This record gives sequence, C-alpha cells and structure tokens, in this order.
Amino acid sequence: MALLKITELNKTYPNGTRALVDVTLELSKGMFGLLGPNGAGKSSLMRTLATLQEADSGTAFLDDIDMLNDPQAVRKALGYLPQEFGVYPRITATQLLDHVATLKGINNRRERNELVNYLLQKVNLYEQRNKSVKGFSGGMKQRVGIAQALIGNPRLIIVDEPTAGLDPGERNRFHNLLAEVGEEVIVILSTHIVDDVRELCTNMAIMNLGRIVYQGKPSDALASLDGKVWRKTIERSDKSAYQAKYNVISDKMVAGKPQIHILSESDPGDGFTSVAPNLEDVFFTTIHSEVA
Amino acid sequence: MFNIFFKKEMLTALRRPMIYIFMFIVALLVFGAVVSDNVVIGGVVGDVKKNAPTVVAIYVSILSIFGLLFATAFFNNAALRDHRNNFHEILFSTPLSKSGYFFGRFMGAWLLAAMVLLGIYLAFIIGAALGPAFNWIGPERVGPTPWLAFTNTFLLFALPNMFFAGSIIFLLATKFKSTVISFVGTLLIILGYIISLNLTSDIDNQPLAAMVDIFGIQAYSIDIQYYTPAERNTIAPSFSGYLLKNRLLWMGIGLIILFISYFTFSFSAKASKRKKKVNKPKEETTNFSAPLLSSLNGTISSWDTFRSFFRMSFLSISKSTTFIILMFFSILLLISNLWGGFEYFGLKSYPVTYKMIDEVNDISSLFVMIILVFFSGELIWRDRDNHIHEVVDSTPHQSIIALIAKTSSLVLLASLLHLLLIGIAVLYQAFNGYTTFELGVYFTDFITDGLPSYLIWGSFFVFLQVLINQKYLAYFISILTLIILDIIFLVFKIETNMLSIGSTPSTTYSDMNGFGPGFTGHLWFTTYWAFFGILTLLLAALFWPRGMNKKIKDRFAISRKALGKSYYGTLGFFSLTWIALAAFVYYNTQVLNAYDTSYEQELQQVDYEKKYKQYEDSPTLSITDAIYYIDIYPEERAADGKIDLWLTNKTTSIIDSLHFTITEDYKHQLDIPNSNLVYEDKALNYYIYKTQVPILPGDSLQMSCTVSYKAKGFENEVSNMSIVNNGTFFNNFEILPTFGYSSSFELGDKNKRRKYDLPERKRMPDLQKECSQLCMNNYLSSGTSDWVNVETYISTSEDQIAIAPGSLLDESVENGRRQYRYKVDHPSQNFYSFISADYEVARRQWNGIDLEVYYHAEHEVNVEGMLNAIQRSLEYFTTHFGPYYHKQARIIEFPRYSSFAQAFPGTMPYSESLGFIVDLEGEGKNNVVDAVIAHEMAHQYWAHQVIGAEMKGSTMLSESFAEYSSLMVMKQETDEIQMKDFLKYDLQRYLRGRSRETEQEQALMHVENQGHIHYGKGSVILYALQDYIGEDKVNQALRNFLEEYRYQPPPYPTAHDFMRHLQPQIPDSLQYLITDWFEEITLYDLRLEEATMTEQGSQYEVKLEIIAKKLKSTPEGASTEVPIKDWVDIGFYRDADEKELITRQRVYLNKEQIELSFLLDERPQKAAIDPLRLLIDRVYDDNVKPVKQE
Repeated sequence: MALLKITELNKTYPNGTRALVDVTLELSKGMFGLLGPNGAGKSSLMRTLATLQEADSGTAFLDDIDMLNDPQAVRKALGYLPQEFGVYPRITATQLLDHVATLKGINNRRERNELVNYLLQKVNLYEQRNKSVKGFSGGMKQRVGIAQALIGNPRLIIVDEPTAGLDPGERNRFHNLLAEVGEEVIVILSTHIVDDVRELCTNMAIMNLGRIVYQGKPSDALASLDGKVWRKTIERSDKSAYQAKYNVISDKMVAGKPQIHILSESDPGDGFTSVAPNLEDVFFTTIHSEVA
Repeated sequence: MFNIFFKKEMLTALRRPMIYIFMFIVALLVFGAVVSDNVVIGGVVGDVKKNAPTVVAIYVSILSIFGLLFATAFFNNAALRDHRNNFHEILFSTPLSKSGYFFGRFMGAWLLAAMVLLGIYLAFIIGAALGPAFNWIGPERVGPTPWLAFTNTFLLFALPNMFFAGSIIFLLATKFKSTVISFVGTLLIILGYIISLNLTSDIDNQPLAAMVDIFGIQAYSIDIQYYTPAERNTIAPSFSGYLLKNRLLWMGIGLIILFISYFTFSFSAKASKRKKKVNKPKEETTNFSAPLLSSLNGTISSWDTFRSFFRMSFLSISKSTTFIILMFFSILLLISNLWGGFEYFGLKSYPVTYKMIDEVNDISSLFVMIILVFFSGELIWRDRDNHIHEVVDSTPHQSIIALIAKTSSLVLLASLLHLLLIGIAVLYQAFNGYTTFELGVYFTDFITDGLPSYLIWGSFFVFLQVLINQKYLAYFISILTLIILDIIFLVFKIETNMLSIGSTPSTTYSDMNGFGPGFTGHLWFTTYWAFFGILTLLLAALFWPRGMNKKIKDRFAISRKALGKSYYGTLGFFSLTWIALAAFVYYNTQVLNAYDTSYEQELQQVDYEKKYKQYEDSPTLSITDAIYYIDIYPEERAADGKIDLWLTNKTTSIIDSLHFTITEDYKHQLDIPNSNLVYEDKALNYYIYKTQVPILPGDSLQMSCTVSYKAKGFENEVSNMSIVNNGTFFNNFEILPTFGYSSSFELGDKNKRRKYDLPERKRMPDLQKECSQLCMNNYLSSGTSDWVNVETYISTSEDQIAIAPGSLLDESVENGRRQYRYKVDHPSQNFYSFISADYEVARRQWNGIDLEVYYHAEHEVNVEGMLNAIQRSLEYFTTHFGPYYHKQARIIEFPRYSSFAQAFPGTMPYSESLGFIVDLEGEGKNNVVDAVIAHEMAHQYWAHQVIGAEMKGSTMLSESFAEYSSLMVMKQETDEIQMKDFLKYDLQRYLRGRSRETEQEQALMHVENQGHIHYGKGSVILYALQDYIGEDKVNQALRNFLEEYRYQPPPYPTAHDFMRHLQPQIPDSLQYLITDWFEEITLYDLRLEEATMTEQGSQYEVKLEIIAKKLKSTPEGASTEVPIKDWVDIGFYRDADEKELITRQRVYLNKEQIELSFLLDERPQKAAIDPLRLLIDRVYDDNVKPVKQE
C-alpha cells in the first residue's frame, strides 16, 4: 500500500520567509486535503514533493523512494497539477497531452494515442481535442490539467488549488474526477477553499505560516467543535465591540449584514444561536489560535 | 492633462535605471571611437578631427539606428503600461482628455528616446578632453567643441529619427498591444533603411536615395560626399540641402502616422473577437478504455523525448509571427540586393555562384543571428512564460535532452532559412539565364560555414540564457558578445581565431581554386568551435533551472540529481575531444605556423626604420641580367626557386658591403661569391655581406639566391595566398630579397608614426626641375635595376600550364612535370610574374604578335572580346605611340584573392573577378573589359617602355597615361555622351578620394602614388585636354616624350620632361590649362541659373544665365575663389534624357555672372554648361536646365 512519509521538512527562502517549518506528515491512499490561507506554505510543500524545489532539511519518502534525493524516481510516479497551469499557444489538446505522455515515458505511440483519447474523453474534452488549448475556458484548461496529471498511472497525485476560478458546475465535475482516481492512489489536494476538503477528503491537514497546525479526519475536527460555535447577525457598527467581547472566529456578510461566528464553551446568550460547526470554523479556529 | 501624463512619463523613466544604462552604452561606444583609432563608426580617417562637426553628425545619425531599439522600449512602455498593469479599464473609465493622455505619453517617450543620444555629446566632450590628456590620441586630432553641430544634429537627427520611428512604434503598440510586434516594427524600419542603402550603389540614384533614407544618413553623406578634410572639420550640418528635404519629408510622414494613430485610438478596451459558432454534427464517440501502458515501466526513451520537445519547439518558432516576418524580410532584402547589387562602372557581372553565396551569407549572417538570439530566449523561457514549466519539469525527462532538442530545432530553422535563401539565389541565376548551377558549392559552403556557425551560436546563446536565467539580461549579453568581444580582442591586440567565438581562417571561394588554401584550417577551427558549442550546451544542462529554484546552488543541486552517468560520460568525451582539438589547432596555428600579430608587425616596422634608415642612401648594385629557375608544386602548395643574378656597380662609389632585406614568407638562401655575412638581424630580416674585394664603379658580380615555400599544416590566417592548388601567381619582388633598405616597409599612417616618435614621412621625394641623383632610379625598381635581360625556366605539374613573361622557347614534359623556358624579347623592367594553373588558351595572330588569353574553362564568355580589345589597343598604340617590342600579348586569369590587373612585360595577369564574369550583353553599356585591357596594354608603353624617376609626378607618366590611352581606345567605338557616362565614375573616384585624403592632396603633376589622383583625376584631365587641344596634339606630345626616353638608361624622366613636350602642343589661349590642371588643384563651380527660349522664325534664340566660379584648393582641401578666365562648353540637348547634343560651343567666360544668347536651328529640350562634364565640378545637377519657352 502506497505510503507518503514526510519528516521534519524545512525551507527558508533567501528573503528570510520560512515557507516550511518542521513539516511532518504521513499519508496513505485516498484523498488528502491540505488546507491553509494564502501564503501558508502549501505550494512550497507541494512543489517540494513535486521535485521542483529543493528543501533545506528533512526527508520525504514515497514508499521506498527517497523523494528529495532521487527526483527522477519520484517524477515517474507523479501526477502534478500546479496552481498555475498554463498551456502553449498554438498547440492542440491532443498535442499537449501527447507531449506530456512522451515525457512521462510512454514510448509506444499506439498506447500513447489510446491513453490521450481515453483521458480526453474522461475529462469530457474529446470533441475539442483538435482545438488550440490556449482558447479554452478556465474550467476546460483545468480539465486538461487533470488529464495530464493522470498520465502514466501515477502513485502520487498532487493538485494545487485546482478549483480556484471555476464555476460550480465545473467544480463539481472536477471533484468527481478527483474522487474517482483518489480511490487507488495518494491524492494531495491543496486548497484554501474549505468546501473542497469537506466534500472530498477523508484526511486533512491545516497549514499556517509554514507549519502543520492540524492533522486528522475532517469529522474528528468537526466533532472537536461540536456545541462550541455560536452565530449572530449584528450591525456593522457593533463589530468591534463584539470582537472585543467574544472569541470571533469569522464574520461574513449575509443579506447585507455581518454574521459572526464565535467560539464559546457555553451559551453566550446575547442573542447567539448554536450552530453545527463546519470546516470553515475549524479552519479559522486553528489559524486564529496559531496567530494568538 | 497633457502636462500630467508628460511629466509622469518622464519622471517614471528618469527614476529607473534603463535610460541611464542606454545612455551609458551609447556614450561608451562613442568614447571608444573618440579616444582610439581601433574603434571606428562610419569610417572617418586622416585629417578629419576626432570631434569634427561631420564626425559628430555621422555618429549621431548612425547611433540613432541603434537608438531605435531603446526607443522601442520607451514608446512601447508608454503605449502599453496601463494595459500591462490591467489598469486601463479603470483609467479609461475616468473622464480623461484623450489628447492629453495620448500626446502626453507620446511626447514623454519621444523626449526620453532622444535623450539617450545625449550620451554621444557627453562622450565627445569627455573623449576630446581625456584622449589627448592621457596621450591616447594626439592633441592635433581634436578640434574645438562643435557646439553648433551638437545642437543641429540633435535637431536634425536625434529628434526627427526618434519621432518618425516613435510614431510607427506607438501606432503598432496601441493597435496590437504586443511588445513583439513593436520590436518587429522597429526591425522593419531598420530594414527599410537597409533597402534604401542599396539604391545608392549607383550614383545616378543619389537624389532618390537621399530622400528614401528614413534616417537622413544617406542624405547627409550625399551632401558632404565631396567635402575636403578642411571642410569636414569646420562645417556643421545645417538646415539645407538634401538633408533638410529628407527631414521635412520624414517628419511629415511621421506626423501623419501619429495622427492616424491618434484618431484611431480609443479608450474602450479592445473588444475580444467573437468566433462564429459552427454547428458541427456531433461525431460518433467511441468509448476509449484506459490502455495497459506496457511501455511505461521501461526506461524513458531519449529519442522520443527529443522528438517531442523538438516538435513542440519547431512548431512554436515556425508559427511565430516574428519568425515569419524575419523570414519574409530576409527574402525581400536578398532579392533587393541581388537585383541592385554588384555593379562596376554601371555594368553587372554574371551571377556566378560565389557572388550568390556572398549575398546569401551577408543576409543570413544578419537575420539568422537575430533569430538565434531572439529565439534562444524564447525557447528557454517558453515553458515558464506559458506557466507550464511546473508540469513539464515534474515529468521524468532528462533536461539535457530538452535542451538539445530545443537547440536543434533552432539550428534547423536557421538552416532552413539559409537554404531558402540559397533557393532564391539559384532561382535568380535561372531567371537571368545563368545555368551553371553549382549546388555542390552552395551546399559545401552551407555545411562547412553556415550550419556550424548556427550550431555554435545557437548553443552558446542557449547557454547564456540558462546561466544568466534572466531573459532580457541574457539577450543583452548575447548581443554584447557578438559585438564587444571582437572589439576587446582588437584593443588587446589578440588575433588568434581560437578565442573569438566561431572565428575561423577566412576562405574565399574562387571558381578557379575552389574554397582555397584557408579551407583546411577553416574546417579544423569549425570543428573546434562546434565542439565548444556542444560543450556549452552540455554545461547548460548542469545549471538548467528545473523547477522553481533561483539560487545557482539549488539549480545545480537539482539538475545534478537528474543527470545520469551517461551525461557525465558524454560531457567527459566532449571535453576531452575539445581539448585535443584545441591542442591540435594550437600546434598548427601557434607553433608550426607561428605568426606576428599586426601589432608586432607594426613594432617591427618601427624598429626596422629606426635601425636601418641610415642605410637608405647607401649605394647599391644594379641587376643587369637574371635567370629564374622556378618549380611550382601546386598540389602541395609549394614552390622552389633559384635565381641567378648579374649585378653591376652603376654608381660612382666603391661598394664593399651588400645590404639585403628579406621577406618572411619565403625561405631564402643567398650565395654571394667572395663575400662574408657580417651582420645578421633575424628578427627584422636585415643582412649585410662584406665583399672580400671592393666593387669599383663599372665592376660586376654574379650571385644567386634560392627561395622556397611549402605550406605546413594550417594557419590562423593563410599567409601566402600566392601559391595555391590552381592559380598560383607571384612576382619576382615577392621572392627576391630587397637590395638595401626599403622604405616601403615603413609605417605609413601618420598618427601611428607620431605615436612611435617617427618623423613625418614623405610618400615620395618632391618633384625636381633640375634632376639630381634621384633621377638615376625609377620608381618601380628603386635603383636595383634598369633594363634587364631575363630568362625563366619554370616547371609545374603535368595538368597545369606555367607562364612567365617573354617568348616561349622550349616546352617539354618529364617525369610528370611540365617544363617551360621563356625569354623576354627586349630588355625590360625587372618586374616578373610567375603563374601556374589549369588553363584553356585562346590565341590569335596580329601583325606577327601572338595574342593569347589564358582562362578558366568556365569563364570563356568574354574571351573573344578580350582578344578584340588587345588587338584594338595594339592598333591604336602602334599607330599613335610607336612600336610594340614584345612578340606576345597575354591576358592570364588568376583567382579572385586580389581584384586587380597588372602589367608585366607582354604579360598581363587579370583577376577572375574583374572582366571574365562581367555581363557585356547590354547594348550601349560601358565596356569595362575593353577599358581594363586597354589600360594594361597601355602599360606596355607607359611603365614598360618609359618610366618615371623615383619622385612625385611619376605615376602620372604611367597610370594617367595608361588611363588616357585606354580612354582613347574606347572612344573609337563609342560616342562622347557614352564617354561622359564612363568618365563620371573616374570623376567620382577622384572627388571621393580627395575627401578621404589622409595626408595631402597633390596636383596631378605632383601626384605621389595616390590612386584617386593618377587614375581618377588623370583620366578626367587628360580626356578634357584632348577635347580642348585635340587628340592628335596630346598623342604627339606623348609620342615625342616616348621617343626621347624609350628604353633609355638613367637619368629617368620626370613630369617636367613630359610638360616640356606638351607645352608646344597647346595654343597660347589655352596655356593656362597647364597651371590649372597640372600644376595646381583647380575646381569649378558652374551653374546654369536659367535657360529661356524665343522662336525667331525658323530659328530659336536661347538665353542663358550662368554663374561660373573657379576655385583653387590647398593640399589640405581649403578652397578659395579666383577670377574665372576660362573656356567652357555650352551645349544643347535635343532630348530630355540628355542623350543627344544638338550643338556644343566653347565660350570664353571672364566673369562670375554672365548672360549668353545662342541662335539654334533646332528646338532644344535642355541646355547645359560643360555638357560633357570635362571640368571638375563637384555638383553637376545644377549644370543642366530644361529650356523654358517664353
């Protein structure tokens, strides 16, 4: 069974930013959600695992592959959809996938053609296969992206912020695709969108400021906040007063007024109603406690 | 509103380093040119000051072309900044004034672009101050700071050029919003300029060329083309002449373009194109299932990876607009060059393969370099620019394969472009009915020159892109290595081809001798550089920034992990092979064939002069008889010779020491009986022998000398182009030691002489009226011989013919060697050629003289015409000058390593590039073949029967007379208008030559071996003279002069001796011509202000208003007006094309402004003063006017 084991991974950028701080993770087959705000170090971790960036210290093993020292072996087992997935101008979807398939070592032309067709069909782009990818919509491009990531039977699939900018329909299709492949291999889904993780992942971790601040099952995380999250719709002018008085996890606008979530062991009264915690609450709770 | 945007544009740019970097680059280039003679922009030499107004103008105008690249950046930024920052949608929705925004931005960019060129003026000021202070240049090379030229050139060149270019770039940028298209636009402007340059190849097109040149450079050069150094040093460019017209034209066009872009400019964001939806019937979809991927778990196929990368790169370049436009324009440029190029005296040569190759290589070397620089960056940055690098980099391919594939696609596309150009050249040949297609030659040239150089530079640029890892910085460094590297080597006096990337010994393709003696070395150097290129590419893989790593250490670390053992094996193999090649090349070019750099040679020249000048006037022996034994081994490029010389002491002194200077190209061994070598300077090759018995006046001595040459290995540059596989040609001066000190080895350049503390050098002694000892030497043999009896035994391989001057006495073949014996029929100049090649021979007999043309088999087209020309020359010369003393007159073709014809006794070698391939089929064209052959034939009289003393004026007696004789032969066959058409090239040669005079201009009678005077001016003056006093009078003078001196022992005649014969032939009224034309430098400024006509019954009365000035010029070129009292022709043309004269009358002009009236029987279309252009008038356009009817 596939197993990815990351130990004490560290990375500091030349400008002093600590992108990875003692990152230790262990994951196996299935969808793994990596949640964190922008700049948390998710992409640094993804890129390090995708052999695109050197780590300063630490180890990472995919089964018996020493990921940091044998990048070529990792690359043979890897499917990667980076956060920024662009395409060449004047190249069709088929040409692009064929190119990647060749680079991933599928030497047999007939197999390559079959695979490219199969994947294009799977991502529902078969009819557009001979069109220039540059002209595709964001969602179509992402589907090309996931198709290329699936090439070559990868054992480890890394997708970095895949649903940013997709409309809900495209996002659903994308999730279905991921869920399908996630049954057999390790899929790491890095995102700052909480719903992605809730819908797809059996395991998750939350990253902030280069550290893993939470690791576990989404259900466990939710359970830990059960009965502690309270909600109230308030006036905008009162926001700072509430912030001073309560442990505000989040506020968002609902029907034109701020609706705040607070964390409280007991009923705070004051017009707050109890709500079932969602992953967003978990996310903000962990991040805020980290900052504090 | 305008102010806001204008200021913002300026301030933003002024706070950034870009403008200062640009300014610095420009200033550096100019500074280099001001303080050093090694850096030259636009070719200014001689007496022109380093900071002369004209020099400033030339630098500003030429650098404004380079400035365009900088300007593009400013204009493009100004037009696109808001778009780039995606700010335009916000900005354009505010209530802006369109004109304020548009013109504010434009003016800001315009001023910035022009400001870059201020660096030039700064460099002139600093350079003029520092140059003399640090003794880099002499104080006399610097004039006062030309402030007027500074302001005028800024107004006339910097601002208008930037304005015009800016208007186009701004238009393109606002329309297409693409930096690439903006740069392509810039390129098009530069190309437009290059195409307009081709138009000036013939002087008839000058007015047109002056106008079509976008930058005003041509207009200005035409305005100043006949300026003397004195004028160049004082006259600043002004708002007049062609320059002003040109500037107004292009500013106007720029203004129109600017307004077009203003009116079509719109704030609303460019509407994205909507594509029509086409309802295609849905195709039947089969359901694909995931394949098993049996091939996956093996190793990654390098070949497949290569192919895939190659295909992607190839598609990306070949489909790119930039590439397509570059390709399109290189084709256009080639076609324009082919149709407009290689003219000579208005005649075109046949499109022989080597000319085609030269044209193709000129174009491809420019365009392919642009493509290599630009696309090396594009390919290396393509994945990153398109944000697909993370995907690509995380696949298990090998970086080195990707790099090789990308570079290969680049090299292949460059090659395809080259081959396309070759295809066009071949089509051009076919189109012109030239059907000797030598595809093998094209191909060999491409394979051994074009292809490897693309490989070398392509790899190297890729290496720079990878190593530097910043696209634009790498572009900059790439261009810098192309330009600056050679300048650095020049400054540090490094000449080896081993350091200058891609350099090889030069090769010149000749129809006779193929790729020539440099080819072996060229191949070795090419291999050496090709391995260097591959090596840089391999090294690039080590630093390839795979993934997201920026630090070089990380890049290195991550690359290394992915490079297998085979990589290091390959790297090792190529490194070792390259080192071995380097060693081999080094051994051949630096050890086996060690050479002196030109700097070392310069030092030797200085030493030689300083040490041995003292012996210059020592008496020497004179050769009376010589026998040459020459064996040529063409296939080995070797020659052996032995020369037996009989010498006599013709001086009045006793001679006991013999001095020799030996040339280094040949190995020498002197054998002088009864004498000892007493002094030996091997470094400077100076030797002194002491005779055991002093040689008294009149006594003789016999000595012999053996020489040998044999090519070994290959050289950095071929030092001996005389001895080759087919077409060996050398003369006796090359193989004989020089007797005594030779002033011809002295350093000539007067600025260099000053640098080495050498006294000013005279090119020739002054002309003397009462001739002294100087008249005992002629200028050709300098006292080492007079008229000599010569015999030659010459041998060569069996398949070649060997030729020496004289009648052929014996010919035999022995042991595969062909042997000949030649003997000259009359004692002659000791000036001998030795030639061997595989020839066809055409012969004709004329009055007992063998006329022969020895030619390369493919070059037979003009041979018959050459025989005719020899015959016509002999007919004219024997009738008008006197007998011909040889029994043969031979024309012999030699390879185009030199492009001259030369006269030896009865024997005239003639370069293959000169007359053999000229297309004479055009009716009524100037017959250059006739001209050159008649010139060399005339030398059989002028130089070989009579030769001048070693002093000023003597080359008039040979070169000007030969020109005159040849003109007279031509004149037999043509009319006076045709002659004028031919002579204008001679006049131009003279006028251009005097404007580039490095020392002093001399009057014709005092000419000191200056080609533009003894050929150019000599032709014009003597032709005019025969028109003024009559052909028979001039011929009579020449004949009398010849009869007095023909084959006479010293003293030799001087120019005065000829004038003595000429004077009686000139009528009193024209005696002034001697002073004006021969003794002084005289120019005319003749103008026809107006020509009006009234009909008088059946006749036409024409009134002319004339301005006629006469000018005298000093040797420095300063001219002053003198009163005119001259006879000048007035002519009337029947047609507007100036092809037929109704009448030509000579009138006496004695004041500057004059009105004349003529009565004609026929209606004239045009009137002209000096219609045949006999007088030296710098501007001829104003001599002719259409006749207006009143």
